[in-house]
Amino acid sequence: MRDKNEINALLEEILSKVTAPQAQITYSYESDLASRFGENAITQNMGGEEEGIRLVVAYGMKHGSSIINRVKSESISNLIKWAQDIAKNSPEDPEYMPPLKPQSYPKVPQSFYDDVVALTPLDIAKEINKTVTLAKDKGYQASGLFHANYSIDALANSQGLFAFLKNSNLSYSTTIHGPKGSGYSSESGESTTQVDSEAMAKRAFETAVAAQNPIDIEPGEYTVIFEPQAVEDFLEFMYWNMSARDADEGTTVFAGKVGEKLFSEKVNISTRIDDPELPASQFGQDGLPAKQIIWVKDGVIERLYHDRFWASKKETEPDPIRYPMFMNGEANSIDDLVANCKKGLLVKRLWYIRYVDRKKLLLTGMTRDGFFLIENGKIVSPVKNLRFNESPIVFLQNVVGMSRPIRVNQWSKVPGIMSENFTFSSKTESV
Amino acid sequence: MKEYTDLALDIAQKAGVSFADIRFVEERQNRVYVERRSIKLIDETESFGYCVRVLINGAWGFASNTHLSKDEVARTAELAITIAKASAKVPKDEPALMASEKAYVDTCKGPCGEDPFSVPNSEKAELLLDTCNTILDMPNIAMTWGLLQFIRTHRIIANSDGSYLDMTNYFANPMLSAIAVVGNESQSRDYQVGGRQAGFEYIREIDILGNAKKIAKEAVIKCNAEKCPTGVMDLVLDPDHLALTMHESVGHPTELDRILGWEANMAGRSFIKHEDVNKLRYGSEIVNFTVNNELEGGLGSWFYDDDGTKMQKFPIIKDGILISLGTTRETVPLIGWKRSNGCCRSDGFNRFPINRIPNLYMEPGTDDSVTPEDLVAGVDKGIYIEGMGSFSIDQMRNNFQFGGDMFWMIENGKKAKPLKLVTYQAQTTQFWNSCDGIAGKDYWKPHGVMNCGKGEPMQSMRMTHGSSYCRFRNINVGGAKL
Repeated sequence: MRDKNEINALLEEILSKVTAPQAQITYSYESDLASRFGENAITQNMGGEEEGIRLVVAYGMKHGSSIINRVKSESISNLIKWAQDIAKNSPEDPEYMPPLKPQSYPKVPQSFYDDVVALTPLDIAKEINKTVTLAKDKGYQASGLFHANYSIDALANSQGLFAFLKNSNLSYSTTIHGPKGSGYSSESGESTTQVDSEAMAKRAFETAVAAQNPIDIEPGEYTVIFEPQAVEDFLEFMYWNMSARDADEGTTVFAGKVGEKLFSEKVNISTRIDDPELPASQFGQDGLPAKQIIWVKDGVIERLYHDRFWASKKETEPDPIRYPMFMNGEANSIDDLVANCKKGLLVKRLWYIRYVDRKKLLLTGMTRDGFFLIENGKIVSPVKNLRFNESPIVFLQNVVGMSRPIRVNQWSKVPGIMSENFTFSSKTESV
Repeated sequence: MKEYTDLALDIAQKAGVSFADIRFVEERQNRVYVERRSIKLIDETESFGYCVRVLINGAWGFASNTHLSKDEVARTAELAITIAKASAKVPKDEPALMASEKAYVDTCKGPCGEDPFSVPNSEKAELLLDTCNTILDMPNIAMTWGLLQFIRTHRIIANSDGSYLDMTNYFANPMLSAIAVVGNESQSRDYQVGGRQAGFEYIREIDILGNAKKIAKEAVIKCNAEKCPTGVMDLVLDPDHLALTMHESVGHPTELDRILGWEANMAGRSFIKHEDVNKLRYGSEIVNFTVNNELEGGLGSWFYDDDGTKMQKFPIIKDGILISLGTTRETVPLIGWKRSNGCCRSDGFNRFPINRIPNLYMEPGTDDSVTPEDLVAGVDKGIYIEGMGSFSIDQMRNNFQFGGDMFWMIENGKKAKPLKLVTYQAQTTQFWNSCDGIAGKDYWKPHGVMNCGKGEPMQSMRMTHGSSYCRFRNINVGGAKL
């Protein structure tokens, strides 16, 4: 792995060879150990590293780009030649945005830890073995992925801008199956100290045990309690749709909604760069400095995402980053929400979510890996999975309670949510 | 490359492998992408790397690298061996074993009539800009995008069986979409021809620009159309639509690794058990599916898969009965089969090859005189669906809900009026058993899928499906809350 000075020198050297008047280089490095297991055994076990260099050059409004994954003179010559040849012969792009001048970057929480670099395949196998042993001892089957990664992202341009970010990440997830039901859990963090793999496996196992022998339930409208994983699964689609330009052009549900109260006043969604539990990048699109952005405040749409071009058209500031996504919650546990639910369904995880109507943001998908009936404040039985057809807009309008937010993955921290009148439309025998 | 492949395999043999391979993948890619009237991207991409895969005492190790020298190849092989020893700490009940396969020495090149990397990018950009400008000039169009993507993949695989395979394939992938806004309504319509193993001649063969106005008009028609009715009715589905339906409800559930539970954490498992082969009635008696990884232009026709297995053609559903599965050399011994049928592929040098959907298609009807119009004529009340749209299926591949890209109400045997937001819900075997009409071979059409996601870390794979027009009876339509 090259250090910051080496990368700076490398990018400067490439820039010095570029003859186009405008140029921007993004550099990436990734080192991965990824151990995959299924049916209580490691099925795939991988290690490797890769660099990547992307060059964008422009002559006026004519631009071109190229990518290589080897830092050697022949590849770098190709990189420059391809991008310049493309740019010279391209039609003008009326939306091209030139490279930025050097920027000042905010301090962000630590996102790189050496203990991830020090991890060995054997260390990972030992962690997986604990999960597998837990499942195997009870006659259950464990599957999952332990992925250890460290990476570098750097950006330099012909205006003298240089940005550099070093990251480490661990993500560990498991699905544990019994004969008639399953449970899933995952954890992610930047350091080994932030991932409690034993607790994670225990959660998945306990869900799997509780999920055995689900009963039939009719589709219809229910009060639901989505655990944070399910909330993240569902809201991802909404978050992608929060583009200012798409809304201005009338193609999304957010058309004309800025300033309107679209959700329950409990709903607050933002991008934050100050949470040590979920570190953000220092920089975003084209090297813009990251900053906190409030998208939804007390249920009101405060802002939609502007890329640099659309921001210039609308005479507003561009939004440098969208992630990590944060959603505020309340001082409850999931158990508290269950205790406050007279009749409803507890949803652990969603699967295969797709648009049905993009304009309305109507989505369909399935429940998976833990789905339970709640009556009079208690979980009374696992139930068979159902297909939903519902909009996150309606889901967030009908919020009646939230738990404390937790980190779900590398890009989001969200609460569990209790919401009323959620629509399920069909059944399946799949468990 | 032979000096490197020999070195890696020699190191592996000395470590006591029961199987080892080294795979080099060199890829060139060229993309031109236009949004609205803006050229967002024209690029050229070069990628090179290799991986060493070893099976030691029934446990896998895999390591990849982009640096090529004898020292680096040796280091990569040693890392794969170290990883395999770690894998042995969480062993399988039955140590992994590779089904035997002949040793092949072969050099193969896929179809490419006109090298896409020799066609000027300016020509590609002008084609897409003209097309997108044509769409945006149409009334009520708010947004459009188009993509031309070309890939050349050169693989060299050498394995401990003695195979040495040198293979080159070209892929071409055109995409186009128009999005209309009428009042508060917004609908899209795509030009969906799918990807093909071909060069630039494929782009000249299809008519992107000529279809621009059609899709723009139909996006507007959808905005003004009535919503999907609700009820049990018949469906007539076109080949571009069925490509996705069969992908999700036939392709994935017949992958043996899913059946064995290896995909449980991500893509899920399958409602099929391997004991179902030769017993399970998957569809009606007229339903016949073929795996054909020798299909000319098929996105999955790679000559040899990443296990070094020669690719094959075989029936997988015959007269409605499931008679085979998609397999790999590691999976077949676990169900007592002798030979893999060549469905093991990876999406790059740094990814472990896994069980993937092959080229998989539905055979046309036996009566060549049957036309799509005949199928429609046999429907009192139903819906005719063109192209792919919304799609979702449960993790065991039972319950699914599909949309489409263009919809027409069928009344009294005729296409009566356009519809929008049509969805239908079914269980997999119920759906295929409801098929009672298939048009003849003149209406059979392939459709290449460029981006099938599976595995962890996620891998994206390509394969071609195909069918003629088909009719399905008594399907639940309109379950979505619109």
